[in-house]
Amino acid sequence: MEILLKFVNEDLLADSQEKVAPDTALFDEGRIDSLKILRLIAFLEVRSGKKIPDELIVMDRFRTIETIAKNFPER
Amino acid sequence: MLNSRAWTLPHSDFPISDDGLLSPGAAETTLIHALESRFREMALAAGSEERQFPTVIAEEILDLSEYFQSFPQFASAVNSPNKRGRYFLSPAVCYHCYQLLMNSALAGDTLLTCQGRCFRAESANDSHLWEFTMREVVFLGDCGFVRAQCDAWKQRIARWAAQLGLTVNLTPAKDPFFLGETRGKKLLQQIKELKYELTAPGLLGTDVPVASFNLHERFFTSRFEVTLTGGEPAYSGCAAFGIERWCMALIAQHGVNEALRRVEESDDLR
Repeated sequence: MEILLKFVNEDLLADSQEKVAPDTALFDEGRIDSLKILRLIAFLEVRSGKKIPDELIVMDRFRTIETIAKNFPER
Repeated sequence: MLNSRAWTLPHSDFPISDDGLLSPGAAETTLIHALESRFREMALAAGSEERQFPTVIAEEILDLSEYFQSFPQFASAVNSPNKRGRYFLSPAVCYHCYQLLMNSALAGDTLLTCQGRCFRAESANDSHLWEFTMREVVFLGDCGFVRAQCDAWKQRIARWAAQLGLTVNLTPAKDPFFLGETRGKKLLQQIKELKYELTAPGLLGTDVPVASFNLHERFFTSRFEVTLTGGEPAYSGCAAFGIERWCMALIAQHGVNEALRRVEESDDLR
């Protein structure tokens, strides 16, 4: 989870003053825009070494860093 | 032959040609009008301003909406009388609303409703008509207003379907939406839950969508330059109802006469 948190705060949100915590709702108030969502999915797929099945890419699995880490554990 | 009867609903006069064209019987026509009337009442009760638009739409409006990029195979072209400009049969009525509001600042939260004949040249099956009637409510304003309207319409229609005794499911849509068909765009629609569909059991045992509840974010308003009073692009969304599909679902579940009675007696339109 630490690596994911670092990626979101230091890469995706590099230009933003606001940073997120593990339990911050990522998609509220436009924190993570469309391009960043796709970069986040790509990051998870590269880290795991496999494509995430499309049907698993739903809000309930991506709401916070914690839920992403729980649903998409690293290999 | 264009009007050959490919099939019809059991125990009803609801013939659909193999090109997806419908010529319903008298009772079924009454049911279609009764349904449309109820959706209109709901839209007006919610405070919508009603508009009427042409059945055809200019190519540049669909182009601005990136319709041809997303669904190039669905558009049906028509000739205009003066041969200037190119037109298509409207695939949805909400595009006209964005044309109406193009290059304007909203005075405040805005609700528009309209109904029209829509055309999508999808392959005909148990529910896809080439030509169908769509009632839409389009909401424009800030993000909070648009989301609240979308949620309110989901609840209102689910409540009404329950009153009609229509078995329905409300689920995030998986088919491509305005963003298009690439994987990235489909995943964005899915994860952001931009489109919900209300489905009812179809004629061949699979669920078919009868309504959709859509968040467009700033996709259309940025292209059509529709802004809030401060100058930033407005948010928009819509609720859309396929009238013939409601008719088909109700006939399949209750038969045409009982369906008509239920629609006419329904009173929970809040």
